[in-house]
Formats: sequence, C-alpha cells, structure tokens
Amino acid sequence: MSDTSNPQPSNVIEVRDLVTHYGPREILHGINVDIVEGEIMVIMGGSGSGKSTFLRHLMALQPPTSGTIKILDEDVWNLSQKELFALRKKLGVAFQGGALFSSMTVGENIMLPLHEHTKLDRLTMEIMARMKLEVVDLSGFEDLMPSELSGGMIKRAAVARAIVMDPRILFFDEPSAGLDPVVSKQLDELILRLRDAMGMTICVVTHELESAFTIADRITVLDQGNILFVGSVEELKKHPSERIQNLLNRRSEEAEIDADEYLRRLTGDKEEAEGMPR
Amino acid sequence: MVEKSNQNAAARFFDRVGRISVASFDEVGRHGAMLLESVYWLVLGPRMNQPVRLGSIFAEMMEIGVRAIGIIGIMAAAIGAMLAIQGIYSLKIFGAEGHVVLGVAFSMVREFAPLITGILVAGRSGSALSARLGTMKINQELDALEVMGINPTRFLVVPSLIASLIMVPVLTFMSMVLGLYAAALYVNAALGMSLAAFFDQTIDVLSVGDLTHGIGKAAIFGVLIALIGVLNGFLVKGGAEGVGKATTRSVVQCISAIVVTDMLFALVATF
Amino acid sequence: MEISISEQNGVQVASVTGEVDLSTSPQVREALLKELGMGKGVIVDLSGVAYIDSSGVASLVEAFQTAKSKGQGFALAQVSETPMRVLKLARLDQVFVIYETVDEAVNALA
Repeated sequence: MSDTSNPQPSNVIEVRDLVTHYGPREILHGINVDIVEGEIMVIMGGSGSGKSTFLRHLMALQPPTSGTIKILDEDVWNLSQKELFALRKKLGVAFQGGALFSSMTVGENIMLPLHEHTKLDRLTMEIMARMKLEVVDLSGFEDLMPSELSGGMIKRAAVARAIVMDPRILFFDEPSAGLDPVVSKQLDELILRLRDAMGMTICVVTHELESAFTIADRITVLDQGNILFVGSVEELKKHPSERIQNLLNRRSEEAEIDADEYLRRLTGDKEEAEGMPR
Repeated sequence: MVEKSNQNAAARFFDRVGRISVASFDEVGRHGAMLLESVYWLVLGPRMNQPVRLGSIFAEMMEIGVRAIGIIGIMAAAIGAMLAIQGIYSLKIFGAEGHVVLGVAFSMVREFAPLITGILVAGRSGSALSARLGTMKINQELDALEVMGINPTRFLVVPSLIASLIMVPVLTFMSMVLGLYAAALYVNAALGMSLAAFFDQTIDVLSVGDLTHGIGKAAIFGVLIALIGVLNGFLVKGGAEGVGKATTRSVVQCISAIVVTDMLFALVATF
Repeated sequence: MEISISEQNGVQVASVTGEVDLSTSPQVREALLKELGMGKGVIVDLSGVAYIDSSGVASLVEAFQTAKSKGQGFALAQVSETPMRVLKLARLDQVFVIYETVDEAVNALA
C-alpha cells in the first residue's frame, strides 16, 4: 500500500525474542516477527502452536516473560497507563466469538469506543456506527441485541465495532471459525476491502488454509512455540520443509514426543500438569 | 507399611492445609488489590480520560438497591415481628413483657437489619455480579474492553462497588424502620401498647451509636459483597460450568464473610 | 486541518485542507452546518484533504442531510483518491453529489 503519506513502508509491529510461559510451561520460545504497514499478515499454526497466545501478546493483553513488542514504534510494556490507552485507540480487534456486550444493542456496542474516547456529537457517532454497519453489510441492524444475530452477523458486527475508530492495525482472531464457507468467504472479502480502502495493517490468526491463501500478503507459520516459516503465499507453497508440506496437505502430524514428559503427563504429576493453556 | 501410609496421609493433610491457606491468603490479597485499584480509578481515572460514569453507578444502584426493596422489606418485617413474638414469649417468664421494646430495638438496629439486608443483597447481587462478569470473561468481553482502551475495573467494578456501598446501608436503614414497625404492630396486638408509645420507647432506648453501628456494618457488607462478587467473576475459568461454580462460590463466600465480619465488628465495637 | 470559506455566485465554497480526524471533524461539522444557513448551497472542496476518517465523512453526511431538508444544494468537489476510497467503502460515492471541479459544482448549484 503506497497510498499513505509515508512512501517507505515501515514496520508497525516488531516482535523481538518473545518468550512466554503459562505457569511453568514455556509456550513461545523466542519469536521474532515484523509486520509491515499496510500488509495482511496471517499467522497460522495448529492448535497448541501458541498462535492464540502470540495474538494476545500482539494485542498487548498479556506481558511476555521476556522479549520486546513494539507497536507503532512504542515499546508496549514500557508505556505508562495513559500512553497505553492512547496506543490502544489505534488498534482494533475482532474476537473469535465477537465479544459483543450482550447488555447493549449492536449500535451501542459499535458506539462504545466513540462514547468513551471522543467528544463527538451524538448524531455524528450514530452516523459513524451506521456507516460501519453498511461496510459490513449489516445496515438496519443497529437496534437489535447481539443475541438476536446469527454467528456470521455477530462476527461482522464485531468487525464494525473494531473499525469504528479507524484503527491503524486491525486484529482478527479466527475469522472463519464456526462459519459456513460462503459466509467465511464474505468475511475474507471484507478483510481485503478494509485493507484497500483504509490502508489498514491487518493481522489475522487462523488455521483455515483457503482463507489464509486468499487474503495473506505474508504468512507466519507457528509450530510448537517456534516460527517455522515467514514469507509470501507462493514461497510457502514451494517450501521444501516436510513439516510445512504436511501442514499444507493437511496430513496429520506425528508430534515429536518427549518420553519423560509424556510419562509424567500420563501418571498425573501435578506440578507438570498445571498451567496448561486454556 | 501401615505407618508409612499414615505418614503419607498426614503429609498430604498438611500439604493440603498449606495449599488452602496460601490460596486463601492469595485471595484476600486479591480483594485488597481490587479495592485499591478501584479507589485508584475513581480518583485518578478522570485524569486519564477514564472517568467513572455517574450513569452506570445509578444503573447499578437501581439493580442492587431499588429492585431489592420488596423482598428486603418483607424479610425485615418478618424478622421484626419474629423478634417481638419471641421477646414477649421469653420475657413472660419473668413477667417483664413490657421490656420487649428494649430487646427488639437493640437487636433489630444493631444486628438483624444489617445482617438480613447483607445476606439478601449477597444472594441477589453478589451472585449476579459473578455471573455477569464471569460470562463476560468467557465471551472475551473483558479482553474486548481492555483492547478498546477501556479499563474493566473502572468501567464495570467501580460502579458496582459504589452502588453497593451506598445501597446496602440505605436498605439497612429501611429494614430497621420496617422491622421495628412490624414489631410495633405485633406488640400493639399482643400487649395493647400503642404504636406511638412503642416508638417513643425505641427512641429513648437507642443512641446514635447504635444506629451508626448498624449502618457502619452495612457499609462494610456492601463493599464485601461487591468485591467478592466481582472477583469470583473475574477468576472464572472454563466455560459456562465455571460461571455456575463461581456464582455458588460467590454467594457462600459473601454470606460467610458477612457473618464473620458481623461477629468481629460486634466484638471490636463493644470492647 | 484548516477550513476556509469563500463565495462564488451565491454558493458557499468550503475548502478543507489537511487531515480530518476525530479531533478536527467537529470543526468541519460546525462550519458546514453554519454555512448551510446562508446562500444557495454549499460545496465542499476536498482537494487538499490528505486524510479523512469516518467521523469526517459522518460530518459530511450530516451536512448533506441537513441541506436536503432545507432544500439547499450540497456537493463535494475535487475528491482526491484517498477520501474517495473511504467514501466508496461505505458506498457513499453513490449518495453524494460529486463534481470534478469547483467551477462545475458552482455552475450546477447556482
């Protein structure tokens, strides 16, 4: 995306030597990733690969054990509370289950960030919320409660809420999970449209290959807490590594087994069993 | 062999006791931390454009307080009448039925009004807070607030805490009045004492200290209910079942905390 | 962000330059709503706009609706590429009256 005022695309997210633990278990083992302005970066990996944890770090929800995360040139965990709030206004997140507030209407959900962070006129906020609903093809749904929407609609409403402040970076957690192929394709198109129109940097965590190939500018593959691959879709398809080809061809993986660890798990040594990820 | 397994059992027992004590201290610490954090946001929030909204405080006061008026009123009246009935019955032994006002007034204002109000609010709102926050947690709504730059403590906890701190004493005062009124009605029917005489005696007997004793306890109960309800909600793990467990846990903890605090407060205040 | 207003043939022309975002869009809104009280109509010249966010677009939408209800003309002129993409995202390019140049717009409204 060269339309922004800055002709040289710069890194909007820089992750360096990220290590993180759940209890005693190390989940990520020193990860380095750059996400460039205006690109759609897809983070892939099977369950247990640490990709959800990684996303929580990128959204500044969870401090790492060690390593740094820079978002828009700010070291996230060295910011004052006030600076962190300011940074968060530039981020939008569409959560897996939508995470709409069930006590508010769809419209109120979308307007909440505006209410809390701006002093705009009420009518302006309403127009903005309706505009965003138009963008996600949910026009006229602002007075419904989230419980009255279908799964696909909830996700699109969540996108509308995520983009209401026109964020610089948009995160998607498993956009196609639980959706039928048609709806999930619509969501992919929406992601592409948002990038093209707003020049947003978009970071998508998914395990859906088709979706990833459609939208990704670059793909990061995580495997058991390490980065297996970073690069374009073409590079990924041609990659010689057997592990990656297995992933692409959806062959189930014989995970490498640490015999001692496995035995401890089976015999139920409590110290080891604690701290499993959710 | 036998001895060894006994030793193991003992070790396991102390191990468990140790773990439980550490966990309980940890939880008490969390309550303290939550309380401090709430005060922090209340005071410093406006400076970071994160003010505590008056509207949400009123909404919570409505939910915690106003909607509970009916049930608390009925319970308080029942307890007031019960105290009068038992008082007259037991004082009859000494032929001192006339002194029933003293017993009813003291026990209602100092003990029963705050206790029954606290327990009912715990049952209604302590559990509701846990259920609401727990559901929000498993639906990632708390994460959503956080990434939107809205602090969940400021947005969700402080309004409930303030509402509870205000409404439990207010409801307690209402309980006192209604309980005494019900007692007066029964005494009127049983002994023929007029309502005016009953309340004259009540006001004679009670000091301002008795009233503040009752209301002060209620304020502490209010804080306890909100903190325990909120924290159990925040700590929910593992889906809908976790929410159910947290709700139950929250009610049990609230009521235990209320009863124990009540005893300690009485002990310290009458020392 | 700056907004300057001139008059051509009885039509108010508001030239907006710079960035229209959450902090500056209320000024745009106020200026436009004020101008709608006078003259035959309002043209918003967007040639100098480097960036416009949805609060800015929302202000334009509100001004357009107000103009319509008052029976006045309202048009956008010289919409550069970046603002155009934002308008297109919400399909507002099909709603607003958009002219290539200010003169064209003035001729149409005057």
